[in-house]
Amino acid sequence: MTATTDAVRAGGFGRGTAPGGGLGWAMRDTSAMAGRNLRRLMRQPEMVMFNIVSPIMFVLLFRYVFGGAISGLQGLNYVNYLIPGIAVQTVLFSAGVTGFALAEDLQKGFINRLRSLPMARSAVFGGRVAADTLNNAFGLIVLLVTGYAVGFRPANFLGLVLAALLLLLFALAVSLGYAVIGLTVRTPEAVNAATFPIIFPLTFASSAFVPVQTMPGWLRGFATHQPVSVVINAARSLILGDSATAAQRAQLLGGTGTGSLIVQALAWSIGIGLVFGLLCARKYRRLTR
Amino acid sequence: MVLCMFMIDVRGLRKVYGDRTVVDGISFDVEDGEIFGILGPNGAGKTTTVECIAGLRRRDGGSITVAGMDPALEGTEFREAVGVQLQESRLPEKQTVAEALQLYASFYARPRDWRELAERLGLLEQRNTYFGRLSGGQKQRLSVALALVGNPRVAILDELTTGLDPAARREVWGLLEDLRGTGVTLVLVSHFMEEAERLCDRVVVIDRGRIIAADTPEGLAAGVAADQRMSFVPSAAVDLTELQSLPDVYTAAVTGDRVAVTGSDNVAAAVIIALHERGIQATRLRVDQPSLDDAFVALTQHDEPAAETQADVEPESHPTAGAAR
Repeated sequence: MTATTDAVRAGGFGRGTAPGGGLGWAMRDTSAMAGRNLRRLMRQPEMVMFNIVSPIMFVLLFRYVFGGAISGLQGLNYVNYLIPGIAVQTVLFSAGVTGFALAEDLQKGFINRLRSLPMARSAVFGGRVAADTLNNAFGLIVLLVTGYAVGFRPANFLGLVLAALLLLLFALAVSLGYAVIGLTVRTPEAVNAATFPIIFPLTFASSAFVPVQTMPGWLRGFATHQPVSVVINAARSLILGDSATAAQRAQLLGGTGTGSLIVQALAWSIGIGLVFGLLCARKYRRLTR
Repeated sequence: MVLCMFMIDVRGLRKVYGDRTVVDGISFDVEDGEIFGILGPNGAGKTTTVECIAGLRRRDGGSITVAGMDPALEGTEFREAVGVQLQESRLPEKQTVAEALQLYASFYARPRDWRELAERLGLLEQRNTYFGRLSGGQKQRLSVALALVGNPRVAILDELTTGLDPAARREVWGLLEDLRGTGVTLVLVSHFMEEAERLCDRVVVIDRGRIIAADTPEGLAAGVAADQRMSFVPSAAVDLTELQSLPDVYTAAVTGDRVAVTGSDNVAAAVIIALHERGIQATRLRVDQPSLDDAFVALTQHDEPAAETQADVEPESHPTAGAAR
C-alpha cells in the first residue's frame, strides 16, 4: 500500500519518454505552442494596440509635455535619457501578457487540456515565454523607431543591441513573475489588479523618467538600487557608451561603470527568473491535485 | 500484476479534498470498444473520477489501469492512448478549426489525418472558421475531434452535450453512434439519461462519490419499480371513481380535458378496455414507460439538497489549495 501511494505521488506530473528524442521533441512542442500563442496575440487587437500605442504615447508625453521641466540631466539630451527608461517600462508592462494569457488559458481549461496531451511539459511555459519575448522585441522595435523620429540618437549601436537583449532577458524574468501571479489568481482581470500596485511604483519610482537625484532622500535610495533602475541604468550606460561624461555617470548612472551595471542587471534578472521560474513549476505541478 | 482483461479497470478509487471525500471507493471496469456511461447528479464526483482516470488528478487511494497502464505513473505513452474532452474546456474564440486540429495533432506520435477526421465529423467546411463563430453542435463536434485526433484507444468525453439545444445534442449523439465499432473505447460522463439510454452499452450511476447502480441502461430502468403513466382525452365524460376502482389503477385525475392515470404494468390495456365497454374512446393517448430518467430520480433522490451545494465546487476551484498552502 505504501509503495502504491508513494508511486502515485511520484507520478501524475508525467516524466514521459520522448518519441523522437528529448530535446528535439521539446523544441518542436515549444515552437508549436509559441506559434499558437503568437497567433492568438495578434488576433487580439487590444493587445496589439496596447503594445504599439502605449509606448508611443509615453514617448510623446514625456518628450514634449514633461521633458522641458525635467532638470539635473548634466547636459544630457532628455530624449536620449528617456528612451532607455521607456524601453524598460514597455517590456515591464507588456510582460504582463504572460500572466493574462496564462490566467485565461487556465480559466478556459486549456492548461488542463494540455496536461492530457503527450507533449513536453516544458512547452507550456516555453511556448508562452517564447511568444511573449517575441512580442516584447516587437514592442521594443516600435519604441526605438518612435524614439528615433523624436530625436533619440544612440551613441553606441552595439551597446543599443546589447541593451535590448538585456531588457528582453529582464522581461523574461518578469514574465515568469506574472506567470506565477496568473497561475495563482486565475483570471486576467485579477492579474491586472494584482500586478498594477507592484509594477507601477517600480516603474515610476525609478530612474526611468527623471534623475533620482531630484527625488527626496527617503525615496532616492530605493529608486537608485531597485532592479528596474539598475536595468535602466545598465541599458542607458550601454547606449551612451564612451559618450557619457564623468558627471553624467556619477549623477545619472548610479556612479558605477557599465560592466558593474551589467553584472548587477544580469544578477537581478537571473535571480528574479530563477525564483519565479521555480515557483511557477511548483504552481503548475499543484494543478494535478 | 495480473494480466488486465479490461480496457479500463478502476478498483476502490478514492479522492479527498481537505476533509471532503469526493470519490469514495468507486470500482468498475470498461471493456475494449465499449461505450460506457458515468451518470449522476451534479457534484456526484463524476468529473473527479474521470480526471483521475485521465491522469489529470492524483488519486488518494485505489487502483486504476487504462490500456494496461497506471495513469498516475505513466507519461507520454499513457497520454498517447487516452484522448479527453473536458467539461470546462473552451478553445480561444479566434482559433480556426484547422489550426486547433493541427496543433493538437502535432503533439501525438501517430495522429490521425486531421482532414479525414474533420470530414468524418462534418467539420471540413468549417475548417477556416474561428471557434467563436461555430454553432454549439459544431463546437462540441470539434471537441470530439480533438479528443480523437491522437488516435487514442480510449476517449473520455465529459458532459459533451450539456448546454446544447436538443437538435445539436442529437447531432452529437449521431456522431458518437457512428464511432461505435471503430475500435475506440468511449467513456461518456453525462447527466442526460436519454443520452445514456441511446448510446451506452453499460452505465454506472454515481452519487455522493459512490456507485449506487451499475447495469445496462435497460436493466437499470427495468430495475426501478416505477409506475406506468398514461394520459388521454376521452371522447365522452369519464367517471374517475370508476377508473380508480379498476385493480390495475393506482390514481386517476383530470387536468383540463385530459385524464391522467397511473398504475401497474397493465394499466393501459385495462383502462382502454374499461372505456371501450362504456363506448368511450381514448384519443391522443400517451403511455410513458419507466425510463432511465425515472430510475435516476428514484436512485438519487435525497431528503436534503446536499448535491446542489457540492455542484459549485467540483470542477474548477481546487478546494485543497487554500487548506494545504
